[in-house]
Amino acid sequence: MEAIEEENFAVSISSPSDAEFDAVVGYLEDIIMDDDFQLIQRNFMDKYYQEFDDTEENKLIYTPIFNEYICLVEKYIEEKLLDRIPGFSMSAFTLSLQQHKDEIAGDIFDMLLTFTDFLAFKEMFLDYRAEKEGRGLDLSGGLVVTPLSRPPVPPAPNILRR
Amino acid sequence: MDNAGKTTILKKFNGEEIDTISPTLGFNIKTLEHRDFKLNIWDVGGQKSLRSYWRNYFESTDGLIWVVDSADHPRLEDCRRELQSLLVEERLAGATLLIFANKQDLPGALTATAIQEALDLDSIQSHHWCIQGCSAYTGENLLAGIDWLLDDISSRVFTAE
Repeated sequence: MEAIEEENFAVSISSPSDAEFDAVVGYLEDIIMDDDFQLIQRNFMDKYYQEFDDTEENKLIYTPIFNEYICLVEKYIEEKLLDRIPGFSMSAFTLSLQQHKDEIAGDIFDMLLTFTDFLAFKEMFLDYRAEKEGRGLDLSGGLVVTPLSRPPVPPAPNILRR
Repeated sequence: MDNAGKTTILKKFNGEEIDTISPTLGFNIKTLEHRDFKLNIWDVGGQKSLRSYWRNYFESTDGLIWVVDSADHPRLEDCRRELQSLLVEERLAGATLLIFANKQDLPGALTATAIQEALDLDSIQSHHWCIQGCSAYTGENLLAGIDWLLDDISSRVFTAE
């Protein structure tokens, strides 16, 4: 299997559907990098990030949030793609996504993954929450003031002993 | 249903510790690789108050694993009813059904055959099904059940393609 695929690459045969896929990915990059989309996504995460906890077990509330996200983002992207490619089908595209995953730039693929993969979606929210709460970069350790000489500890008053 | 051992089975499969498992209030997801298959397993809490949420997880289900506490005799009738109500669910229509008669390591556990009778499994016409006695605690027969499930799903999926 492996050898045959490599041979195909060597003579660079590309089927019409491959070219189509590449075109869609190109448009997607534009759409996802656009400020409009970034804003939609940020607003969505602001609305819900406090629901997400970094625990292995998932809360039931994650599921409706995930469904809402898919609806929102998929609808937006599908509309934008339809403007550019008449007859575009999102479900057909997400199907072919898995087969082409090695060919797409990392951050774009990670983003696309959050539309179909629940765990990638959860990860995105946990990262956002950590960032929001300043846990992405922990500088608190640098702010501790340690005296060079400690004052003598006063003996505990007897009254506190029981 | 609750306390049947769903999460324990999942963790045992995954080679994780099973001595500190508390009741599942939400859901767990694990991806297991077995025999070149990638299994996405969703484990949803079984308490009565959570059962109405099960339907949110029916989409794209190839296999349904129903775990039974074989030592919980008083709730077997409940168990039968809950299972039957799932089987009429349209979105689970094509799913393969594996029943784990769990807790076979407990002295009072009913055999798989007795569970089969109590749950009236022989009446099931709508799904491919199989019952497997097992112990999540010792790990006994867990793989045998999963192997059957994989065989059934793959024969169905690959014939259809």
